[in-house]
Amino acid sequence: MARLILQRLFWLLPVALGVVTITFFAARVFGGDPTELYTPPEATDALRAEIRERLGLADPLWVQYVRYIGDIARLDFGVSFSTNQSVGADLTDRLPATLELGLVGLGLGVLLGVPLGVLAAVTREGPTDFLVRGITLTGMALPQFWIGLVLIWVFFVILGWLPGPVGRLPIGVDLPAPITGFLLIDLLLLGDMERWRLAVLQLVLPAGTLAIATLAPIARVTRASMVEALQSDYIRTAIAMGHGKRAVWFRYALRNALLPVVTLVGVLAGYVFGGAVLLESIFGWPGLGQYALQAIESSDFAALQGFVIYAALLYVLAFLAVDVLYMVIDPRMRR
Amino acid sequence: MTRAPLSWSMRIGLAILGFYVAVALLSLVWTPHDPLSPGVGDGFLPPSVEFPLGTDRLGSDVLSRLMAGTQYNLGIAVLAVAIALTVGSILGVIAGYYGGATDIAISRGVEVFQAFPGLLFAMLIVKAVGPGVVNVILVLSFVGIPDYVRLARAEVQSRRNWPYAEAARMVGNRSWQVAFRHILPNSTGPLLAFTSINAAFVALVTASLGFLGLGLSPNTPEWGNMIARGQDGVMTGEWWISFFPGLAILGMTGAFYLLGDALSDLTDPRRRR
Repeated sequence: MARLILQRLFWLLPVALGVVTITFFAARVFGGDPTELYTPPEATDALRAEIRERLGLADPLWVQYVRYIGDIARLDFGVSFSTNQSVGADLTDRLPATLELGLVGLGLGVLLGVPLGVLAAVTREGPTDFLVRGITLTGMALPQFWIGLVLIWVFFVILGWLPGPVGRLPIGVDLPAPITGFLLIDLLLLGDMERWRLAVLQLVLPAGTLAIATLAPIARVTRASMVEALQSDYIRTAIAMGHGKRAVWFRYALRNALLPVVTLVGVLAGYVFGGAVLLESIFGWPGLGQYALQAIESSDFAALQGFVIYAALLYVLAFLAVDVLYMVIDPRMRR
Repeated sequence: MTRAPLSWSMRIGLAILGFYVAVALLSLVWTPHDPLSPGVGDGFLPPSVEFPLGTDRLGSDVLSRLMAGTQYNLGIAVLAVAIALTVGSILGVIAGYYGGATDIAISRGVEVFQAFPGLLFAMLIVKAVGPGVVNVILVLSFVGIPDYVRLARAEVQSRRNWPYAEAARMVGNRSWQVAFRHILPNSTGPLLAFTSINAAFVALVTASLGFLGLGLSPNTPEWGNMIARGQDGVMTGEWWISFFPGLAILGMTGAFYLLGDALSDLTDPRRRR
């Protein structure tokens, strides 16, 4: 098994190189001349040339490319001109906010989606099944940002039950100095229950949005694979041998049916990173997504490249984790 | 040959898509008000008889913009998916039929593009190539191509040594004829089913790009764009500007999913009841 994992990790190298190459050329070839972003419009040509020289843009493209690869290999993503900090540090600072929201949202999605899928499968073709399928179809067909806006409208604007979309803590409440960067854990470590409660309330709407968006595909795949499992020979045998309904459903069928769900959660992890851009912009969440959006709006290519590479690597690592998990659960994969 | 009766999800999906096509065509010749001009009414008017879905911040009629938006959202989805299906299947058939170095080159190349989450990739490239309807279509088709390649490759690979393919070779067909005329047509079912699911994804990404203000000019009555325009209104109670475009997306995307489901039920014998 260790050999298989190493093999997979080895295959990541060409993929990573490809990702870096694509982002580089997307930015440099189509992205226009970054000098323009650093120079005032009234600058003289001599000043422009000097800035180009200093940014290393005067060299031929392939020299820039090799230098860029070298920088990335040393995990140096360059300097963002809007925050004036190293992109790597910026991204690392913001990663916990995104991870916290993503893990809670996706976790809720799994906790709600799997039981819904099982429920639909065991009541196949009945009214409950029909209802669950309606819910999952709706959840999949709606854009995440719209779900978020509607939740804000209902629970903040109309009902006033939950706080508005202003980030991880209400306005006027200070963030503690990061320990792990995960706000809920940090506040527990500090024993600050009042701020912890506020942070949980802030998290409900964005995490709920993510949960709705992810539970739909999870429930759908769980239903499909559970239906297939329930029709299989080993289930028929188990029933024939007189095992109780519940034991058959949960001990035998669900265990086997969960394999495709594990794969899906890996795919959704990537979707969470992509969707973070939209979700975080709606909820004022200070994570990677918001950073990427600011980078897009200000044409800050160093920051944008850094984010895309970061996201792609996390995405690929999520897939790798899924493969490993697969080998752990499915004895046939071990060989 | 008797045909299987059309399933309900297929009927509903087709009916809804038919409605959207009709609205798109109608909006070319008639909308209640001019969708592009601001100030046909006051700003932020709630739904009324004259403006059934209200007006937005600039006083444009939401219903007219919604109707005109169908041209963009439906048109982009259909064209992007058609391009991705064509290019992806050709590459996939080549990779699957010829195998060897060609296969490795195509498959590995495709894998690189799949390392990006679809939406991110679309954002990056649209930002890089600049706005415009044509650019958005090309980028979205590009994002979809890898999936078609993998699907077509797997289909062809599993069928290339079947007796009918052998027979086609034996009577003197060239290899590309066997691959494209004999094997590919037998794989259309799964490809079409995926195409419909992919159209739903493309529709959602189009709206997301519009919402972020990427891809199309700000006054384009694209639904994601419209939701973004109404975003501030949601906070102050003017919900209708963002709400109705979301429903329009829901209907179209849901119809694509229903159709995709029905098609895979038809073509996958394991799922046939």
